[in-house]
Amino acid sequence: MSEERMFRIPVGPQHPALKEPINFTFIVDGERVVDVKPRIGYNHRGIEKLMESKTYIQGLYLIERICGICSAAHQGCYAQNIEEAAGIEAPPRGVYLRTLIWELERIHSHLLWVGVAYHEIGFDTLFMYVWRDRERVMDILEMISGNRVNYAMNTIGGVRRDVTPEIVDNALKALDYLEERTKYYKKVTEEDDSILARTVNVGILKTEDAKRLCAVGPTARASGLKVDVRRDDPYGAYDELDFDVVVYDTCDLTARVLVRIDEVLESIKMCRQILQNLPSGPVRVKFKRKVPEGESISKVEAPRGEDLHYVKANGTEKPERYKVRAPTLANIPSVCEMLKGGYIADIPIVFAGIDPCIACTDRMLFIDVNTERKWMWTEEELRMYARKWYKKHLKEVVRERWKC
Amino acid sequence: MSELKAEQELVEDVKKQLGDKIVDTKIQRAKRVYIRVKAGDHRDVIKYLKEKWDAYHVSTITGVDLGENIELLYHLFAYRGNVTVTVRTEVPKSDPKIQTIVDIIPGATLYEREVHDLLGVVFEGHPELERLILPDDWPEGVYPLRKEYKLEVEEVEEVKEEGEA
Repeated sequence: MSEERMFRIPVGPQHPALKEPINFTFIVDGERVVDVKPRIGYNHRGIEKLMESKTYIQGLYLIERICGICSAAHQGCYAQNIEEAAGIEAPPRGVYLRTLIWELERIHSHLLWVGVAYHEIGFDTLFMYVWRDRERVMDILEMISGNRVNYAMNTIGGVRRDVTPEIVDNALKALDYLEERTKYYKKVTEEDDSILARTVNVGILKTEDAKRLCAVGPTARASGLKVDVRRDDPYGAYDELDFDVVVYDTCDLTARVLVRIDEVLESIKMCRQILQNLPSGPVRVKFKRKVPEGESISKVEAPRGEDLHYVKANGTEKPERYKVRAPTLANIPSVCEMLKGGYIADIPIVFAGIDPCIACTDRMLFIDVNTERKWMWTEEELRMYARKWYKKHLKEVVRERWKC
Repeated sequence: MSELKAEQELVEDVKKQLGDKIVDTKIQRAKRVYIRVKAGDHRDVIKYLKEKWDAYHVSTITGVDLGENIELLYHLFAYRGNVTVTVRTEVPKSDPKIQTIVDIIPGATLYEREVHDLLGVVFEGHPELERLILPDDWPEGVYPLRKEYKLEVEEVEEVKEEGEA
């Protein structure tokens, strides 16, 4: 089939998850990747500097715009950080609702990622199904906050909106549907040959490497590291919720898919607990604009892993310094490790495997170590190359990986 | 206070083992410990925490412009006791140099490059202290997170006035 006749599903170029700019230089030997050098910053907006000239209330809305997908993780992390520095405490109902939004966000983020992962390996039917089902969790988020993304739910001292009993009923129904569908995707991922052929033993990140390179979130947990801020450094309502930290020890892409699918199931469990046990009372307390001199560190488990915020307050309405470390930066050294030794054709799915959030492979430079030839590919070209290459080489590669 | 048991144990252990290197310690609340050291001693303290308290994870390195000095905060997580330990030290702004910790915790490599880009701290011994975040044509010696670097807010306001006219 000629290339013009191939069916293309456009994701991007303004795709919120994958089409953000990052630059990698791949050093390759034939089909193998020998080394990877990352260069980031194409999307650096100077938010930390800008935070110093914004009041704490304005900061809420700037910090939310760090990321379109994990906006609540950043905003909630910011709100609890400023609350701690200011010495105020959000009321229990506010904390529960904040946690609810965090978990709903994790469900939508992980489902989005699972869809993207299927797309990267060319399984577009499943990608469409997952994204259709993801709409249900987007509906819950919209019902509660009024927005599909950038929910603006948090404020310093609690949350801005309350839920009604009708919302709780509707959300519980949608969660039942999502649970059933997610279990189906888990079954497909575990059993479908075309998924397994592209994920088993691909993009290996050994446990000691994950530890050494300070990997976070599902990337670390798929490499056998039992780390989760929700368990290790509980915040919000997590110390009152019953949940398991999902860990897989096969260290490959299959593990990374399964960790996220299982985490969706855990999140559904947590959302049910929250909705059924919502404390009564107000959802927020008043915040008096000024924060006394001091400092505070706040951490949350964002969908992609540990998110750390640090604030240094100077007694005014504006922070002296605000520092954010989003999880993707922490996983960049790990993804470079995963790509080393793999095939060029595995780059799209391995790179997608960390669920990159500042990421795009739009500007990749290849250097062949033997001929010193250099060439550039866009992500779409690389993805098409990967599919064609696998059509030709699938049998031998699977035989080699599975040793059969 | 029994709930701060792990935190107190950590602080006392570090003081006992590395007493002369510790300038100051602070237990802010449960799971939040700060240890102040002199620049140069941070490597020994981080190495000790990594070996004895399972603090193999560095979350990030925060740089703060204090005026005369630049403060560096190494946010570690000690898995023994589950405590966020921040090792803090200062380097003079006139000569901001400090030894790298990449050989102790390889995961710190991008964080040191980030601080190098934005605050101009030189991490001696870092394998590739190249530009990471700022554009290639960014002028040498200009560090945006230092306080003397001002945001050009006025320009934005001018544009707004023109738009209204």
